[in-house]
Amino acid sequence: MSNAAQEPLLSAIAIAKSFGGVQALRGVDFDVVPGEIHALLGQNGAGKSTLVKILNGVHPAGSYSGAIKLDGRPVSFASPAAARSNGVGYVPQEIEVLEQLSVAENVFAGRTGLGDGALVHQRKLEQRAGEIFADLGIGIDPRAYVASLTSAQRHLVMIARAIVMKPRVLMLDEPTASLSGTEVDALFAVLRRLKTQGVAMIYITHRLPEVLAICDRATVLRDGQVAVRIAREDFDAETFIFSMSGQRLQRLFPEHTAPAGAPTALEVRNLTVAGHSGAVHGAKDINLSVAAGEIVGLAGLLGSGRSEILHGIYGRVPAEGEIRVAGDPVAIGSPGNARAAGIALLTEDRKRDGLLFNLPVGANITIGNLAPLSRRGVVRGGLERSSILAAMRALNVKASSPQASVSHLSGGNQQKLLFARVLMRAPKVLLLDEPTKGVDAATRHEIYRLVVDLAEKGVGLLIVASELEELIGLCDRCLVVADGRIVDEFGRGEGGEDRVLRSVTAAQAERHASQVSP
Amino acid sequence: MESAADVGSLPRDGQSFRRRLIGFIAIGEVGVLAAMALLIVFFWLLEPAFLSERNIRAILNVVSFVGIIAIGQTVLLVAGEFDLSVGSVAGLSAVVAAKLMTVAALPVTVAILGGIGVGALIGLVNGLIVVRLGIPAFIQTLGMLFIGQGLIQVVTGGYPVYPLPEAINTIGGADLAFGLGWSFAFFIVAAIVADFVLRRTVLGRNFYATGGNREVARLVGINTSAYKIGAFIVVGALAAIAGMFVMADLGSGGTSIGSGWELTVIAGVVVGGVSLFGGAGTVAGGVVGILMLKVVQSGLVVIGVNSNWQQIAVGVIMVMAVGLDILRRRYFIAGA
Ligand SMILES: Nc1ncnc2c1ncn2[C@@H]1O[C@H](COP(=O)(O)OP(=O)(O)OP(=O)(O)O)[C@@H](O)[C@H]1O
Ligand SMILES: [Mg+2]
Repeated sequence: MSNAAQEPLLSAIAIAKSFGGVQALRGVDFDVVPGEIHALLGQNGAGKSTLVKILNGVHPAGSYSGAIKLDGRPVSFASPAAARSNGVGYVPQEIEVLEQLSVAENVFAGRTGLGDGALVHQRKLEQRAGEIFADLGIGIDPRAYVASLTSAQRHLVMIARAIVMKPRVLMLDEPTASLSGTEVDALFAVLRRLKTQGVAMIYITHRLPEVLAICDRATVLRDGQVAVRIAREDFDAETFIFSMSGQRLQRLFPEHTAPAGAPTALEVRNLTVAGHSGAVHGAKDINLSVAAGEIVGLAGLLGSGRSEILHGIYGRVPAEGEIRVAGDPVAIGSPGNARAAGIALLTEDRKRDGLLFNLPVGANITIGNLAPLSRRGVVRGGLERSSILAAMRALNVKASSPQASVSHLSGGNQQKLLFARVLMRAPKVLLLDEPTKGVDAATRHEIYRLVVDLAEKGVGLLIVASELEELIGLCDRCLVVADGRIVDEFGRGEGGEDRVLRSVTAAQAERHASQVSP
Repeated sequence: MESAADVGSLPRDGQSFRRRLIGFIAIGEVGVLAAMALLIVFFWLLEPAFLSERNIRAILNVVSFVGIIAIGQTVLLVAGEFDLSVGSVAGLSAVVAAKLMTVAALPVTVAILGGIGVGALIGLVNGLIVVRLGIPAFIQTLGMLFIGQGLIQVVTGGYPVYPLPEAINTIGGADLAFGLGWSFAFFIVAAIVADFVLRRTVLGRNFYATGGNREVARLVGINTSAYKIGAFIVVGALAAIAGMFVMADLGSGGTSIGSGWELTVIAGVVVGGVSLFGGAGTVAGGVVGILMLKVVQSGLVVIGVNSNWQQIAVGVIMVMAVGLDILRRRYFIAGA
């Protein structure tokens, strides 16, 4: 490898960091050379995000021990802005956008010198944001308000924000967690180009195929230490998993067949969800059914209406149509009704519509599930605590105690916490929106296991996942969604990723044709 | 995996003590109580009369009036809204009740229920407009503050309602213990009940969820509109009750009852660690905050500080308290 011989552009030496009693990093050495994409791997809570946050000033100099060198010279960043002005760019794991501003304003947020003095050239901003989006293959209107975007689109906005400053070092913390195939391909094309321009990149992901596809070197963290450094020649998914977790995974997807002749768990007739501004198109005339014990997937591209279908069924957004759970009609239009009928929803964006940051881990799990844990409206403390501990153990939520703050959990543990919340009520129908977003390989396996277990217990599952491989491997049946309609359907073994892409393209072509000749 | 063990196992002794200490300091009320104790000692050293029976009674008496409203305001802030009209509502309810029992010659109990009804109704109107029409609470309740003041003048024509039936004077003059009357008793009982509700009940937990993130609360099946409107009604009713206690204390339906209270109440509960952004704080904290504010005001009077400086002190203390609270959260809770 030619890269390895080069001088590192950015290096971290013996970085150690603790939060209260938790030792997140214990002496990590790490570096990136120009023109390299360096994968940073590890299980949830291994310390990946903490390391990149230190490298770009989110955890300021002084709050950790060890040294950082840029171009061989020691540096210390007091803030992300300081890192940025040294050419260090960063795409954080959790979405951080300014909701009330336009997409273009978000892309250029925090930048100066875009106009005359203190004034900003709105048109210029929009134009330049448009160019970047064209580059990234993103179909988002730069003038749209971020408040109207889906979470995958918000993530793309953050990526554009980091790229637009032309960084020399770019850190991407799980940039693809909510993206699907085509967007990932577009992103990779951009990263490859940055690579030829000599940008040094740190790439955090739990999707191992991505590492195989694009990375040059990998460093695996385990419990805050470097477990192993792997050169591209030795890349292999199994090696990665083993060095991250110390476990060997047998098969990625657990065995499951939908029971024949099972009763219908969820029946949806003529469901229409209104689209609103921006890039959310809604869904039209959706008919689908999920049998008890069946796992059904909704495949499609970003913005195709998959999440809207789940939201419509759950009553999160206004919708029309008919919904039945186990044959009984459900009054559509409020989450309360849906829950009472036995429907549960796991939302996609943990930060925006999942976690309650003002409540500790335990209360986040039991919120909305307190009825059986209380007597005459008074919460029974002991019972609540024991059921929290049981739920945390069942899902392997790694937190110091039920009193811990949720904002300090690693991303994957936050996801498991939300799982614990929706499962506490033993739903009959479970709607999962990106259930493995930001979850490490071993936990991902646990979640697949969990999904299959639930199916075996007779729960009907409807899943949206952007990673097609995952969806196809896990689901008994896939429905392909394009432009808010179901355009194709196939059972296990009847098709793969190419079939999904083909039906999406065909549907788009058809729509295009009908628009051209009205 | 090791995590399962992490959850159940107890920390080692040294760490456990440290953690308990941190946990103790991290409790919002402790900091305010400590600060208040220091201030009390300070004023007492400068002027021993500060801790005279008469002065303590005077402080507790005033605290009982604004404290009753602070209880409601805390619940409302936890639910993610706030109410600037509480002072006007207190005044308006008092004069309406006074008119009902004098001019309309209704029985005293009916008149008092009428006063509470006025407060609750205004709370309902505030709640409906904020929740259903989406007008920010700041604007709606500021508007209601002016409307309430205007209505007080309309109802009374600018003159205090006087004399009131004997029963009212009896309520106002009662001495249950240590020279404290019904308003103090009501305040203590209401504070204990409200604190328990927020801390221990499903209702309370749902208030925190509503104020923490309304969309999340909605998705877990909480009727967030009902919670917010309910909290507005509670504040309105409690403001009305406080207003009528003052009326009983004064023995007349004065037109200036409640004027200026809204800011005292908000400053007090914020000092006590109740967040203006919703979802955080306790009734105990809010009540202690109000107490501390009143201790400072009274202490400054007792040691003979000019009244302009008293106002300045209140402002400084509020900003300092919130600043300290932010620091406390950063160091003890974030652990950074
Ligand atoms: N601000 C914080 N306060 C307290 N603990 C923290 C904080 N940030 C991280 N931690 C802890 O440090 C450890 C490492 O967390 P980090 O976020 O770096 O993990 P990660 O490798 O990025 O995991 P994931 O894949 O889930 O994103 C975890 O145990 C986490 O709970
Ligand atoms: Mg992370």
